[in-house]
Amino acid sequence: MQTQLPHLATLALTCATLTSFAFAQGTQFADPVQVSAGDKLLGKGRMYPSPAMHDINGDGRLDVFIGDLRGHITYALRQADGTFSSEMKLKDAKGKVLDFGNW
Amino acid sequence: MSPQFVDFNGDGNLDIVAGIFDGSPHVALGDGKTWSQPKSILDKNGARIVLNAFWNFDSKAWDSTDRCDPTGGRPMKGGQPAKGHLTSAIAMDWDRDGDFDLVLGDHRSGYVYLRRNAGSNQKPQFEARNELVMAGDQPMHDPGTVATLRAVDWNRDGLLDLMVSGMGDPYGTKTGGGVAVYLNTGTADDKIAKFGQAISLIAPSKKGAMNNPSRPDSGLHPEAVDFDGDGDLDLLVGGYSMWTPAAKDLTTEQKTEVKKLKADLAEVAAAQKKTMDAIYKATEGLGQDERAAKLKKQFEGVSSEINKLNKTRRELSQRIQKLEPRAQRVSFTWLYENLAKTASGDTTGQR
Repeated sequence: MQTQLPHLATLALTCATLTSFAFAQGTQFADPVQVSAGDKLLGKGRMYPSPAMHDINGDGRLDVFIGDLRGHITYALRQADGTFSSEMKLKDAKGKVLDFGNW
Repeated sequence: MSPQFVDFNGDGNLDIVAGIFDGSPHVALGDGKTWSQPKSILDKNGARIVLNAFWNFDSKAWDSTDRCDPTGGRPMKGGQPAKGHLTSAIAMDWDRDGDFDLVLGDHRSGYVYLRRNAGSNQKPQFEARNELVMAGDQPMHDPGTVATLRAVDWNRDGLLDLMVSGMGDPYGTKTGGGVAVYLNTGTADDKIAKFGQAISLIAPSKKGAMNNPSRPDSGLHPEAVDFDGDGDLDLLVGGYSMWTPAAKDLTTEQKTEVKKLKADLAEVAAAQKKTMDAIYKATEGLGQDERAAKLKKQFEGVSSEINKLNKTRRELSQRIQKLEPRAQRVSFTWLYENLAKTASGDTTGQR
C-alpha cells in the first residue's frame, strides 16, 4: 500500500493538471464587442492601447486604464450601471501627466 | 506599454510597472493616492534592464548591446542569439523567494525572458543577465512576436500562469496577433515556475474583415478580469482592427469628382515635394550645425505655405476616402466575454 501512495499522488496530480488544461482549452468567448468610455470608444486611435483594471477611487468597482506606446495612461471610472466615464489623463501629485515615454 | 498595478517596492501601495518602447522596464511608485513620474528599473550594477536594442539617452539614438544577451547564453538557431527589443515587462515572483522578478517580452523575436531579483522588494538586486523562459522543453515563443505579458491564475489552481499576446503583422495581410495562456504546471512546493505548452485563447487573426471592424487584428494587449461580475475571467483586449469598408456605388457625377480630387491631390503632392526639395537643396554642402540652423530658418520661412498644402491635402484625402473608402486600421478596446464559466482565476496583486 505504501508503494502505491506515490502513484496515487501522481495520478491525482495528473488528473488535476489535465482538468486545468481542459478548463483553459475549453474556454469559449462571445464575439468581441467594442468598449465605450463616455460617448467615445475606449482607447480609439491610441497607439497600441493596452488596458488594465484597477479601482482608483476606492468605490469597489474596477476602473479601466489604457496605456499606449507613447507612454501615456488614461483612465475611465466605472459607474454603478457598469458603463465607463470619459477617459481622463493620469497625472502625478503635481498635476503633470504621467509620462513613461522618455525616448 | 502595458501598465501593471502591483506593489513593486513592498510599501503597501500599488505601483505601476511597464515595459516601454525605449527598451527597458519602468516603475511609477504610488503613495496610495497618486503616482510619481516613472523611473527606469535598474539591475544590481546600476545598468538599465534591456534585451539588446534600447534608446541611448547619452547619444540620443537607438543603440544595441550584447551586455544583456537575450538568450542568457543559450544559443538559438544557427548558434546566433536572437536580437531582442523589450517593450513589455511584468513583475512576478518567479522563484517564490518573496520578491518580484521581472518577466520580459520581446517584440522582435517573440521570446520571453526572466530577470531574477536576488535582493528584496525594498532593495532589489536584479541580475545582469536574462534567462530564456521555457515552456516544457522548448523556449516560450509567440510567432507573432510578443506584444505583452500578463501573470494570471487562469485555471484557478493557485499558481500564476502566463498570458502572452502577439503583435502579428501590423500593417499587411499576413497573420495578425492572438492571445495564448501558458499554464503553470508546477506545484505549490516548486521553487520555480514551470510552464506547459501554449493554449490559444484568442486565435491569431486571419484578418480580412469586410464593412466593419470585427476584432483586434494586430498588436493585441489583453487584460484578464471578471468584467461582468459573473465569476469567470473575461478578456479586455486593446489592439488594431483592420477592415475594408463596403465599396460605394458611385454616381457618374461622383466618379467625375473622384477623378478631379485625385488630380488635385497629385498636384498638391507635387507642390509639397517642390517646396521640400528647395529647402534641402539650399542646405547642401553645409556642416551639420550650420545645416540644422539653415533648415530651421528655411522651414520657418515657408511654414504657412507648408501648413496650407498639408491642410489642402488632408481635405482632399478625406473627401476621396468618403467616396472611395480604403482599408482601415484603427485601434480600439474589445471585450471578450467568457461564456464557459470554467476559468475564474485570481489576479489580485499580480496582474
